[in-house]
Amino acid sequence: MVGRNQKAGVDLAVELCGLRLRTPLIPASGTLSKEALGEVGGVYGAMLPKTTTPAARAGNPPPRIAETPAGMVNSIGLQNPGVEAFLQGLDAFDLGIPIFVSVAGDTIEEFSQLCGTLAGEARVSAVELNLSCPNVECGGLAFCAGPASVEEVVAACRAAVPGKPIIAKLTNEGVLENARAAESAGVDGLTVINTLPALTIDVRTRKVLVRGGLSGPAIKPVALRAVYDVSGAVNIPVIGSGGVVSGTDVAEFMLAGATAVQVGTASFVRDPQEILDEFTDYLKENSLNAAGLTGAIRGGRPVLAGGRDI
Amino acid sequence: MKFYSVEVEQREELGPYTLLEYRWSLGPVRPGQFVMARAAGYPATLDPFLARPFSFYDYDGKMASLLFEVRGRGTALLDLASTMEVTAPLGNGFRIDPGLGRAALLGGGIGVAPLKILSRSLDAAGIPHDVFLGFADASPAAVAADFPGAGVATMDGSAGTPGTVLDAADSLEGYGAVYACGPNPMLAAVKRAARESRLCQLSVEERMGCGNGSCNGCVVPVRGGDYIRSCIEGPVFHADVLAW
Repeated sequence: MVGRNQKAGVDLAVELCGLRLRTPLIPASGTLSKEALGEVGGVYGAMLPKTTTPAARAGNPPPRIAETPAGMVNSIGLQNPGVEAFLQGLDAFDLGIPIFVSVAGDTIEEFSQLCGTLAGEARVSAVELNLSCPNVECGGLAFCAGPASVEEVVAACRAAVPGKPIIAKLTNEGVLENARAAESAGVDGLTVINTLPALTIDVRTRKVLVRGGLSGPAIKPVALRAVYDVSGAVNIPVIGSGGVVSGTDVAEFMLAGATAVQVGTASFVRDPQEILDEFTDYLKENSLNAAGLTGAIRGGRPVLAGGRDI
Repeated sequence: MKFYSVEVEQREELGPYTLLEYRWSLGPVRPGQFVMARAAGYPATLDPFLARPFSFYDYDGKMASLLFEVRGRGTALLDLASTMEVTAPLGNGFRIDPGLGRAALLGGGIGVAPLKILSRSLDAAGIPHDVFLGFADASPAAVAADFPGAGVATMDGSAGTPGTVLDAADSLEGYGAVYACGPNPMLAAVKRAARESRLCQLSVEERMGCGNGSCNGCVVPVRGGDYIRSCIEGPVFHADVLAW
């Protein structure tokens, strides 16, 4: 099948942790339901369903979302049916591209058990460790409390799933130290960043409206800075995440050092195909290939389409 | 989420509510379904960021309309829009079954929105029905003019029966089907009052992030302690599914 990507005359493919992705876009975990899959045909290079946990979680009571300037705060609380039911329904997410599975546990043991379960699952190409959910009582952000806890949980997961790439999803705070710690514990890649801890207040009721994580374009500069700093400090690929809404946002994250880019909240307000089309147009106008963009801002030269040098 | 750009072909004020009409030809609209909508201009305007969910007020096979109340910046911008961006019709609508007998339709405040298209569908199916509308005061009660014969109640007593929409209805006994839309406390009261009816369906008003089941932001509590999504499993629910 000749896809729209080939027709555009630029190469959108990137290599991430030894996997070839046909585009650098990946849905951010928790932002693409199976009901919405029909819309996203050729957009993504890998599939990444909502975080799964050992047992089913009902999630947090409403209200769970609040709109904020150029973004939103959510506190979903990892609502999911548990890993067993998740795997039973995983075929729905098979779009013929690698499937990454996001996992979260309350404890290191739970993380390691989840990784062990996925280790023998042929449909799963990589595991993303959600070390940075701001909306759960146990675990969640606590794993990003410092390099020691990051190193411990990553090492346990590494041992539990030796045969597949593991990717640590980090929060912004302390991201550089945590990234180095994850790398030294054997992680294959990093997703930078998760939502930022945030709060909204209802002045009418004088109560907290939503205490959760901020996403959307409001956090893009913060995420870009984190991607730029982290990719300069580690030798493993970085997946940029945070406020991507356009094709040029994708280019910015890749220029800053990302190998692939997650699209999250933006998919609520745009057709993600439009983001890919804009990114493709940007590459075409500048005679670039996707893979050549990564880190080009650091003085390296972008690789032109067809392998020509500048 | 895919959005379609549509011209606002007619704008009308029904009391404090705004009615916007647009042409829709990409597939059917079932009563109770909704769209995510916003003033056109995206992505020049990233703020407000999210679109807003609105039930269809009416659809005649050609023109679709949305009825809403300006409550914040998103609806204020929509109120002024000459072009808007809408999704395809979303969610589950009301079940229409001629075997159930006479139907009661109850709307609280802007919860009147899905009752117009529902009433049209019931008429088409030959199902006799009564409409009851409850408002805070007489000003939104202007919308009742669009529902000839509807029973009206106002909380301040300035129009119709003093009290809630259930006071306008007096009793729901004898209705085979009861349909309602409005704030959750009203829906809970309707659920109790409609215990004897064979069908009671409630359309919830929840904040939504995406409208396509992805964000899990619009959930409602169900019996058994779980939460389900208004946008996919709803926004119309069988009353006995809901926890409240």
